Amino acid sequence: MSWSSRLASLLPGAVARDTGGTEPDPRFTFANERTFLAWSRTALALVVAGLGIVQLLPPFPGVPAGRHLLGVPLIALGAVLAVVAYAEWVRNQHALRRGEPMPKSNMPWILAAAITGMAIVSAIVLLISAVR
Amino acid sequence: MTTPQAPSPGDGAQRGQGHGHGQAGDDPEERIPGLARERTSLAWTRTAISFAALGGVVLRANVVTGLIILALAPVIWQLGRMTRGGAPKASDRLPAVPVVGATRLFAIAIAITAVALLCLVVAIFGRSVPGALR
Repeated sequence: MSWSSRLASLLPGAVARDTGGTEPDPRFTFANERTFLAWSRTALALVVAGLGIVQLLPPFPGVPAGRHLLGVPLIALGAVLAVVAYAEWVRNQHALRRGEPMPKSNMPWILAAAITGMAIVSAIVLLISAVR
Repeated sequence: MTTPQAPSPGDGAQRGQGHGHGQAGDDPEERIPGLARERTSLAWTRTAISFAALGGVVLRANVVTGLIILALAPVIWQLGRMTRGGAPKASDRLPAVPVVGATRLFAIAIAITAVALLCLVVAIFGRSVPGALR
């Protein structure tokens, strides 16, 4: 499946036209929706954290771009997470309708890797600013 | 007022037969559909509050952007109300199948992405308040 057709399958109209399988148990549908909302709140929290770092923290001595180095990737990650969360919701709903196994999610891996990376960058920025 | 009765152990499997799926879980909270709807409704409310909190933070940096994000909070809350349908009755064993509502969730994803891009612009070009957290 090409990228354009994949993207097209994510549009609400295409999702609503998905009549394959049967309507799943409403509890599963609700649970899928709550999972999407939880990821959305995580994305918003990342945006708040990024903006807080850039706008509210004092500058790091010796690292003039330190705040932007930490904050901007967090905000960008929040934007990516929101889109990926929606794509995951569509995939999960597709699997639920057909009684298929739930597709493997990459989101926990993405989040864990991003947090680890940001922690390492934060430590480096703090060490540099402490030395100078 | 009638207290909702937890279904008997076989109910989940019986309900699941018509849908081609297994039980939703052994936890009574998972097995009473009205509570699933209520929890989802609360999740929408929390998401709307998160938007309001973000709007409050952005307000410090850029008033117009902050107000735009704050205005999104009641919209999100209203989108969540569309999930609820009627108030769940104690006798509800299986609620009406909810509308999938892809458009609502798509709108949330787009809103968060747009808000993140706005915040990116504010973060890069906006006036910072250094030391506000000192």
